[in-house]
Amino acid sequence: MKSNHKIKDFGIFALPGMFCFFAVVIIPFIYGVYLTLTDWNGVSQTKNFIGLANFAGVMQDKQFWSSLLLTFKYVIVVVILVNVIAFGIAYLLTRGIKGQNFFRAGFFTPNLIGGIVLGYIWQFVFSRVFVGIGESTGWSLFETSWLSDPNKAFAALVLVSVWQLSGYMILIYVAGFMGLSEDVMEAASIDGASGFAKLKNIILPLMMSSITICLFLTLSRAFMVYDVNLSLTSGGPYGSTEMAAMHVYEKAFTSRQFGVGQAEAFILFIVVACISGLQVYLTKKQEVEA
Amino acid sequence: MMNQTKVGGNKRKIANIVAMAGLIIIFIAYMFPFLMVVINSLKQKRDIIKSPFSWLFTIKGLSFDNFVKAFTQMDFLNAFKNSLIVTVSATVLVTILAAMLAYYIVRHNNAVSKATFALMVASMIIPFQAIMIPLVSIYGGTLNVLNHRITLIFMHTGFSMAMSVFMFHGFIKGNVPIALEEAACIDGCTHTRTFFQIVLPLLKPIISTMVILNALAFWNDFLLPSLVLTDKKLLTLPLSTYSFYGTYSADYGTIMAGLLLCVLPILILYVVLQKQIIGGVVAGAVK
Amino acid sequence: MKRKVMTRVIASALTVVFMASTLTGCRFGFASDPDDPNEVEEKIPIDTSTDTFEYDPALSGTSITLLNSKAEIQVALEEMAAEFEKKSGVHVEVMPVTDGDSPYTKVVSLYNSGNPPTLSILDTTDVIALAEEKAEDLTAEPWTAEAQEYLTEVNGKVYSFPLCIEGRGLIYNKTVIEEALGETFDVSAIKTQDDFVALLDRLVAAGIEKPISMAKEDWSLGAHQLQYIYETYDGTSEGAQTVIEQLKSGELDLDSYQRMTEFLNMFDILKKYNVAKGDPLGADYDEMAIDLADGKTAFWFNGNWAWPNLEEAGAKTTDEYGFLPYFLNNDENDFANQMIQGSPSKQVMMDGQMASEQQKAAAKEFLNWIVYSEIGQQMLVKSCSLIPPFKNNPYEPQDPLSRDIYQHVQDGTAFNASAIVPNDHWSILGAAMQKYLADRCDRAELTESIEEYWKQQK
Repeated sequence: MKSNHKIKDFGIFALPGMFCFFAVVIIPFIYGVYLTLTDWNGVSQTKNFIGLANFAGVMQDKQFWSSLLLTFKYVIVVVILVNVIAFGIAYLLTRGIKGQNFFRAGFFTPNLIGGIVLGYIWQFVFSRVFVGIGESTGWSLFETSWLSDPNKAFAALVLVSVWQLSGYMILIYVAGFMGLSEDVMEAASIDGASGFAKLKNIILPLMMSSITICLFLTLSRAFMVYDVNLSLTSGGPYGSTEMAAMHVYEKAFTSRQFGVGQAEAFILFIVVACISGLQVYLTKKQEVEA
Repeated sequence: MMNQTKVGGNKRKIANIVAMAGLIIIFIAYMFPFLMVVINSLKQKRDIIKSPFSWLFTIKGLSFDNFVKAFTQMDFLNAFKNSLIVTVSATVLVTILAAMLAYYIVRHNNAVSKATFALMVASMIIPFQAIMIPLVSIYGGTLNVLNHRITLIFMHTGFSMAMSVFMFHGFIKGNVPIALEEAACIDGCTHTRTFFQIVLPLLKPIISTMVILNALAFWNDFLLPSLVLTDKKLLTLPLSTYSFYGTYSADYGTIMAGLLLCVLPILILYVVLQKQIIGGVVAGAVK
Repeated sequence: MKRKVMTRVIASALTVVFMASTLTGCRFGFASDPDDPNEVEEKIPIDTSTDTFEYDPALSGTSITLLNSKAEIQVALEEMAAEFEKKSGVHVEVMPVTDGDSPYTKVVSLYNSGNPPTLSILDTTDVIALAEEKAEDLTAEPWTAEAQEYLTEVNGKVYSFPLCIEGRGLIYNKTVIEEALGETFDVSAIKTQDDFVALLDRLVAAGIEKPISMAKEDWSLGAHQLQYIYETYDGTSEGAQTVIEQLKSGELDLDSYQRMTEFLNMFDILKKYNVAKGDPLGADYDEMAIDLADGKTAFWFNGNWAWPNLEEAGAKTTDEYGFLPYFLNNDENDFANQMIQGSPSKQVMMDGQMASEQQKAAAKEFLNWIVYSEIGQQMLVKSCSLIPPFKNNPYEPQDPLSRDIYQHVQDGTAFNASAIVPNDHWSILGAAMQKYLADRCDRAELTESIEEYWKQQK
């Protein structure tokens, strides 16, 4: 009777949720590992076992490694810029100025909108509006479209990502600043601590938990960038801004090399897993110290 | 002492004015792209290509034509309906299933619970790219069920399950006292009734957070729907924007109008529910 | 308190503005819109009075699907399907491939969802990739006799129906050239690369500073331009295949391959006179159409599919546009300097895996109807504005670009060579070409990336 009850509970409460999770995440993930060992082309009914040949293919795929390198560069720049900017804006917002809520809500708006749409909006701004400004003012910065030069296109991608992500981080930092007691800030200014010393010795340590959250969120979002990449530059000019996530997609669905694509996706997974692990480790250490 | 505060006050005032000015400048820069979209959505193609930056009063062809075109060509109402169906069903489904699963895991400390929970936490670091190819292979190549709305709803539910269970788990552990349920148990309430009548109402704060987070994610998602749906009648808003943008021709005015139409529903909702949305997002991140 | 009020006011103002614009959108949406491209202003009349085609009454009531990857003929295809249904009782559902998707991805995903289209319009390379796995063998169909030189064979069998001929080259705007030079422009006088450069210099002297537009898009550079190196090998598809095989095996050294050098010479000329020379990768496709129609430029490297863009930019069907060959050298007798490339780039494949026998028969009847019925023949040319590959079709296309290609085909001054390249050729080598276009790499690096690409293909 009792064990019957237990099974019924399990069936009602746990099973449906578990089924969704396993069917969509775990089984495909395991099957994906198997796919890296086959030569499946996306259409054919047969899949031949070819051992580690796909990984050898990944080694030869220079574009993949350069896209991975580019992704690292992108993640580092974006994570730093987003957090510095969001921290700064949040600091300004919490000084008790008028319209705080209005600004906060405004800054968050880009976050509500999907990356595809944002990318298209900015594509228009970069390729038309900026060039238009360049033509009428003669500013050399805007003379040519940013999207036609590899470095500027990369900068454009960073700019849009920072623009999109910082609103979210502003919210978290604002919440963090609101949590700081007035007394601490007040005491600091009466003691005559200079701005920088105040920031370094008093504010930063107290904001550590917000910083940790923001770092984690920006890191994982930046690594997986795809939508904005696709709609803003779609990898161009000449493939110079193709990030890892996009390269995997192209490899599998455009070049029809599903095995190699899946092997690259798997490598991406390992990289992300390592970095997430490292981040968790460092955070834990930080928390112990604090 | 008196003097000091005064000086401090003045300084502070100036600093605040500088801060305000800085904020306003940054804010305008933030809003600049949206402004450009609004302006150009009202212009004609030629004016946009030749003078995108010109203000409305300097050109002749100001009209709402672009909106009309975008509205009909994007099949806006249909895409909106599709997005709505998918977002609402998946959000409801994942909220209920995740709450139940999390509740089970908290109350039944057995091996299955522990293993499932550990697996879910671990799975959160798997990038979607590592799953998408086998996903297409299994659901497309083997089961032949792609291109159905229900498949997408099911997948959205599965993908957001881990995160949702994690959040519910934390909340239930901290905020739902077991004593209440034991009391209900004595009254002869079944477990299912206990859950829906006693536990679920207690979960309101976390439910609203999860609904906002999941609904936003589902509404804006592009990659997963693009893999699942190809039939034009089923496209969600991000997909129809993408296909509308086209490869060969860029009809900027119509596109700007289309982008604006796409953003509108969310903005309207945001204006109405601003407090809840911001609150939910902050709660979701900080917990 | 004040803050709150301000937020509220702004919020409601925004809502009102947005609601207003949405509502206006709605209201106008249901009215007739003169700018809507779906509403053709003056429909070309189709004569339906004579119809000698024999319909099989047993097929009436069958329903088939047609996947269309040529967005510009969607409306025309729907009309065609309706007309066919009226006559035969077979319902043809026309499904569009959205622009962002590749036709191949779409058709594979439809197979994956368990309801593949009975017929699908695909690129030749896609047909070859799918033929033996999915397609119905069409070798025995009667229309194969009408389009002999435009058939694509896979291991000796025909799996696809050539829908149309598409041609590409340097589009010229005759009026612009004549107005600039103050004399009549005789296309046939331009016989060599040097002639072409001389013409360009005269145009520059006459005030058209940069007379050429060239698209920066990877499909234009990677597929339409670069593929000349395969297709001009000897002007046949077999020749193109030979070059590709030799590149795959590493046998062919591109540095010493004549056509490669010649192609790059021509490409450099286009680069030099490119209207977007300052920022070639910032060039805008629609702006090119406007520039050519307005006379800011005199040439645009493109194909006859560019007509809708030109028309939208203000060109009329009565205007004089035409094609110049992609001049490769100064040899008047080289076919590449005399002929325009024109080949059946779009193919219709029939599903052989999941369609019922009844559906297959109905689909075959539809294809035969396009080739043999008076109505089908007319609609293919007049409604869809396609250039028919079928010898028995007596109708001529309407727009100047298609008319010119059609004329070349009739006069025998078109060469039909389609290089069958992998699905990612245009994107990967298109990127390499973009790099060269932007002067970010030299010839050696470009050649190397092309050789590299082919070596990786199995």
